[in-house]
Amino acid sequence: MWLIKKAHVVDPAQGIDGICDVLFDEFILAVGQDLNGEDFLDSSHRLSVIEADGKYLFPGLIDVHAHLREPGREDKEDITSGAKAAVRGGFTTVLAMANTQPVIDNRGLVEYVMSRGEQAQGARVLPVAAVTMDLKGDALVNMAELHKAGAVAFSDDGRGVQRAQTMLLALQYAQLTGCPLISHCEDESLAKGGCMRRGFRSARLGLTGIPAAAESVMAARDILLAQENGGKLHLAHLSTAAAVAALRWGKQQGIDVTGEVNPHHLIFSDDDIGLTQTCLKVNPPLPSAEDRGVLLTALVDGTIDMLATDHAPHTWEEKARPFPEAPFGINGFETALAAVWMSLVEPGKLSVSQLVRAWSLNPARRFGLAGGSLHVDKPADIVLFDPKHTETIGQDVWLSKSTNTPYWDKEMHGFPTAVWVGGSLRDAALRDAAVRDAAIQDAAIQDAAIQQTGRERPSC
Amino acid sequence: MDVNTESWQHKDLLGIAQLSPWDIARIFETAVSMKEILNRPIKKLPTLRGKSVAMLFYEASTRTRVSFETAVKTLGADVGSFSVSTSSVNKGESLLDTAKTLDAMKFDLIVIRHTSSGASEFLAQNLRAGVINAGDGQHEHPTQALLDAFTLCEKFGVLGTKHLQEPAYPDRLLTGRKIVIVGDILHSRVARSNALCLQRLGAQVTFVGPPTLLPPEMACWNVGISHDLDAGLDGADAVMALRLQLERQKSGLFPSVREYAELYGLTLDRLRRSGREPLLLHPGPMNRGVEVDSELADSLYSVIEEQVTNGLAVRMALIYLMSAPL
Repeated sequence: MWLIKKAHVVDPAQGIDGICDVLFDEFILAVGQDLNGEDFLDSSHRLSVIEADGKYLFPGLIDVHAHLREPGREDKEDITSGAKAAVRGGFTTVLAMANTQPVIDNRGLVEYVMSRGEQAQGARVLPVAAVTMDLKGDALVNMAELHKAGAVAFSDDGRGVQRAQTMLLALQYAQLTGCPLISHCEDESLAKGGCMRRGFRSARLGLTGIPAAAESVMAARDILLAQENGGKLHLAHLSTAAAVAALRWGKQQGIDVTGEVNPHHLIFSDDDIGLTQTCLKVNPPLPSAEDRGVLLTALVDGTIDMLATDHAPHTWEEKARPFPEAPFGINGFETALAAVWMSLVEPGKLSVSQLVRAWSLNPARRFGLAGGSLHVDKPADIVLFDPKHTETIGQDVWLSKSTNTPYWDKEMHGFPTAVWVGGSLRDAALRDAAVRDAAIQDAAIQDAAIQQTGRERPSC
Repeated sequence: MDVNTESWQHKDLLGIAQLSPWDIARIFETAVSMKEILNRPIKKLPTLRGKSVAMLFYEASTRTRVSFETAVKTLGADVGSFSVSTSSVNKGESLLDTAKTLDAMKFDLIVIRHTSSGASEFLAQNLRAGVINAGDGQHEHPTQALLDAFTLCEKFGVLGTKHLQEPAYPDRLLTGRKIVIVGDILHSRVARSNALCLQRLGAQVTFVGPPTLLPPEMACWNVGISHDLDAGLDGADAVMALRLQLERQKSGLFPSVREYAELYGLTLDRLRRSGREPLLLHPGPMNRGVEVDSELADSLYSVIEEQVTNGLAVRMALIYLMSAPL
């Protein structure tokens, strides 16, 4: 049992944004002023008390968009390394996209992802199943069966569903499951062959441009399809002003649509791209500076509901190529929170409360997940966050198998120093000396107790 | 030969973007001397004996490649040639590994042509040897732009010592000159490098082409933009036709070669009507009857053959500047 004292607790679900104490074991037991842990103690628990002045405490972040690459591309990432990297970055739940090899389009693979995720002892890993078999944009997967097996959403992410009729049917049929359908908005006839946003910068560099319309037309299409027949629509990685306008319109019409934005689309723009900076090659491509402003405004005013990393690991060899030949994707788990902290929270563009709402509460609500708040009796998915903790991003602090981040070798600050998933402290994220000492002491006492009684130490 | 060898600062030549007008004048000044050598009966110098230059061509090319090879040999250096069809580059070896192999063979310079924009910059960051960009995707083709600008300066009579060595002058070498570039601007590294190079020397540049091949974002070059060839040609001192990749028609970028030739094909008549009898340049290879009418290509307006000779001189100058012992 842990009692975290005098942290700055941020829990928008309960309107908490101030200094108080949090007491939890596997579940949240109490949140309030001057809590006395002894009142809650029973014989099976020991109490560890942590003084957390100057630190924030908020519900674990939930990343609704990540690529863990297993099965198929374990050279880039696997579920274990991904789950550990995620928890190190402050995520207690991640949604794993279906575009693996083979594609997560059957029950066996959904169960495989779930069981590998449980073994990983990192963030909780929840599978997103494909919308169509093998991401071909054609036959629908057995949505009801896959939902029953554990899929929390459906997405052909990595590709847009090109045929409107298929998308319409998918939105309709997915209503059986109550799960959102996550749309990767990309019209391939417009985007084909491109490697960055079409604009002055692409014209300068001689790189084939992807017009903003490649995203916007499909976002608008899918919103209209959701209006036609209902269904829960979630727009992945929004990057264009027009798609945001479509989302805003859709919400005004009462259509059940939400949207997410990736930190890199809020922080970088196409102007930052140089010909050899393949770490900034990402799909959808980095927006124009103007669109980046629109995305931030929409996140702040709530039009865009949530943040998501679109964690997309790729090997060094794949990125060590000329720009047009390198794969799309930015490795996000371990830098996303610090990046948003430094680029948006510290300059006052985004409040901590808005951050937690967008990266924990709203994802939990939209995808029907357990976390997202510090309500009593909720699972103790908790992040203790030190805004001053500084690290230089490099191999000695890194858990992901891939290093394709624009922050490599850069100094960053604002990291989780301790993360609990269901009350279980995760080693992968443990940076806080006081928490570490308490955990070691706790283990030593338990060991002593085992020696005294001669009983096996219970596994946790 | 009397050339100034002091302090050439660039390890690589990746694009015109990295060159100042003074750098360009320096190349021209050296190229003038090189051109004299090309007109001698014995065209061989011992200057770079013992140096070696690798040719790494990932894209079909005859004239650029032969031009570079001839330039290297004329200067007395050795050439190693690697092309997609004959080396391990088509056995799945990465560009980086191929280039590192060349580096390990102790080549002094590597000339690369590649289908990807940025390929030469990528190599330059990873190699000890100097890198010359002989065309990377749609990004730059600096030696083509240099030979085009050299040809124009020669024709306009501004290549004398007084023009090139006068301090603060090179950025005005082509001041008052209007140069039109017509064709598939969007996909052209030649257009990009020329826009940079000609503007750096003071010229006024106008791009002409259909909206699909000259989209609005090309305004980033701060050039004139016109979709009407005759309007664009008005008062031009020179016009450069770009090669039309006929396969662009298949992607729907223009409806037919016939309509393209009618709207954007250069003819003797068109040039005569434009007012100032402009020079005709073409980077080659030319589609006669498409971007340039045959009659015009063989007329006195055409400086296409001079471009080829000057290409040799300019490439000799560059290789000399980049590898001469200081």
